[in-house]
Amino acid sequence: MRLFYSPTLALVALLGLLILLSLFSLTVGALSISVSDVVLSLAGQQEDFQTALVVNEIRLPRLLLGIIVGAGLAIAGAAMQGLFRNPLADPGLVGVSSGAALAAVTVIVLGGSFLSQWVIFWGYFALPLAAFAGGGLVTWIIYLVATKDGRTDVGLMLLTGIAINAIAGAMTGLLVYFATDAELRTLTFWTMGSIASASWQDIIISTGPILLAIVVLPYFARSLNAFLMGESVTSHMGFNVKRLKFATITLTALAVGAAVSVSGVIGFVGLVAPHLVRLMLGPDHRWLFPGSAIIGAVLVVGSDMLARTLLSPAELPIGIIMSAIGGPFFLWLLIQRRSRVGF
Amino acid sequence: MDFRGITILKTKHLNVVFQDEQILYDIDFSVEPGTILSILGPNGAGKSTLLKALSGDIDFVKDKVQLEGKYLNDYSSKELADLRSVMPQSIHLDFPFLVSEVIEMSLLNANTVKERDSYVEQALALFDVTDLHDRNYLTLSGGEQQRVQLARVISQITLNKDNSPRYLFLDECTASLDLSHQHQVFDVVLEVVKKHNVAAIMVLHDLNLASQYSDELVLMKKGKIINQGTVKEVLTEQKISEVYNYPISIIQHPSGWPMVVPAYT
Repeated sequence: MRLFYSPTLALVALLGLLILLSLFSLTVGALSISVSDVVLSLAGQQEDFQTALVVNEIRLPRLLLGIIVGAGLAIAGAAMQGLFRNPLADPGLVGVSSGAALAAVTVIVLGGSFLSQWVIFWGYFALPLAAFAGGGLVTWIIYLVATKDGRTDVGLMLLTGIAINAIAGAMTGLLVYFATDAELRTLTFWTMGSIASASWQDIIISTGPILLAIVVLPYFARSLNAFLMGESVTSHMGFNVKRLKFATITLTALAVGAAVSVSGVIGFVGLVAPHLVRLMLGPDHRWLFPGSAIIGAVLVVGSDMLARTLLSPAELPIGIIMSAIGGPFFLWLLIQRRSRVGF
Repeated sequence: MDFRGITILKTKHLNVVFQDEQILYDIDFSVEPGTILSILGPNGAGKSTLLKALSGDIDFVKDKVQLEGKYLNDYSSKELADLRSVMPQSIHLDFPFLVSEVIEMSLLNANTVKERDSYVEQALALFDVTDLHDRNYLTLSGGEQQRVQLARVISQITLNKDNSPRYLFLDECTASLDLSHQHQVFDVVLEVVKKHNVAAIMVLHDLNLASQYSDELVLMKKGKIINQGTVKEVLTEQKISEVYNYPISIIQHPSGWPMVVPAYT
C-alpha cells in the first residue's frame, strides 16, 4: 500500500509542509514573534530593530542550516541504502559519519598543539576540510577492503563499517582524555550534534557539497533502482556499475562530510527520512531522492524546534531528539522485518 | 582466432582461472540464433562459469568471447544489454517495488509512458501474470517472483526490437518452480526463440527437461566440454553414465525424445 500514487503531488505537498514548518519555526523561541513580524523582518521592512535581528541573524541561519543538513543527511542515507541494497543502512552505520567526526574532533583537540600548522594554514576551513577528508578516507578504506576485481562485496563493506566505527569510537574516546574542559563541551557538540551556533559561514560551506549531491544523485536513480537487484543484474541491463558506485560513494561522502562539519553527528535522519518516503511513494529512487531531501529537512527543522523549546530557556542537543525518535523507529523496523521474513 | 560465422556467439580455447584454480579448460563453443542450447553436467562441472563467461560477466575473458563478429569487450554495456539478457540463478530484491516497476527497469528503450505501459502488459501476458501488475513484489511467492523476473529478462531483448539476433542466458531458471510452471517457462522460451530469432543458452540440472526442449546439448565435466551435439547425439547411455558416474538407461518418451532413467539393477 502506498499513501500517494502521484509522486509530483506528494513532493509538492511535502515542500508545502516544509515551508509552513519553516515559517512556524521562525516564530518560536525565547522571544515569541508573530508570523506577520517574521514576514516583515524577512522582507527587510521590520521597524523593530531587535525583532529583525533575532529573525534574520539568529533564527534564519539556524533554520537554513537545519534544512541543508537534514536534506544532506537524508539523501546520503537514501543513496547508501541503495548502494548496500539494504533499507537499514545509514551513513552512521558504515562509519562515514564517525570518520568525519573523528577527523573534526582531532582538529579541535590537537589544533593547539600537533596540528597547529594545519589550523593556521586553513583557518576557518580547517574543520570542515578535515571532516570531508575523514569521511572520504573512511569511504576509501571501505572500498579498498571490500572491493576485489572491480566488484564490491556488500557484506564485507558493512562489516568494514562496523570495524571503522569501533576504531573511530576508541580514538574519539582517547581524545577525550587529552581534552580540556572547554574542548569537552565542543566534543559533546560533535557526538550529539547541534545547529545552535549556526552561522552564515556554516551555511556557505555546507550548501555547495550538499546541493551537488541533491542535483547529481537523481541522474543515477534508474541505475540505482536496478542495483537493488544486484551488481550483475545491473550490468546485464546495460548500466555502468563502476561509475554508479563511484558517484554514489563520492557524493555520499561529500554530503555527510559537509553535514558533519557544521552540525556534528546527527544520527537516524538518513534512516528515517528515506523510509517515510518509501511508505508514501514506494522505493523508486527517482522520487526517493527528492522526497528524502525534503523530509530530512522537515525532521531536522522540527527536531531543532523541539530541542530549543522543550527545556526553554535551556537547549537540548538535537542529536538527543533525533535518537529519541530514530531509536524506537529503528527497533520498529527490525521487528517488522522479523515478522515479514518469518523467523 | 578463427571465427567464420558472424551472426553467432562463439569462443575458442577459452580458459578461466580463478586464484590459481582452473575452472574451464580449453573451451570451444558456438551457438546460432533460433537454437535452444542446454549446458548439462554434474555439480562443479563449470556450467555456470561457462554461462558467465559467455554472457560477459567475467571481465578478464571478455576478449575471448565473440558475439556477432565482435569481441565482448568491444561492446559498451548498453549495446550488450540490447543484444543479450541474463536470468541468474536467484535475484534478491529487498525493497517493496510493484511488479510493474520491476518489469519497467529493463525497458530502457521505451520512449513514452504509454509505450512503456503497453510493454509491461505484454511482458506480464507472456507468463499469464497480468493480474500481478500492481502487487508488491515482496508479497509474491517464490515462483511468482521467478516468473516476473523471467518476464523482465525476456522483455529486455524482445520488446521494441527488430528481428536481428538476440541471446538469452538462463541459469537454472526453473529450479524453484513446480511442474506446470516449469513447462510454462520452457514453452515461453520456445516461443520467444522461434518468433524473435533468439538463441537461448541455459544451464539445466533436469536432463529430461533439457531433452524435451533443447535443440542442442553441451555436456561438461570437470571444466571441459565432453560433447556438444543434438539431443540424440549427446544423451546416450554410455556418455551420461560416464559423465555422471552413475549407471543410467535411456528410454523413449511417447512423443519421441529420449528420457534418462536410473539403470535397472
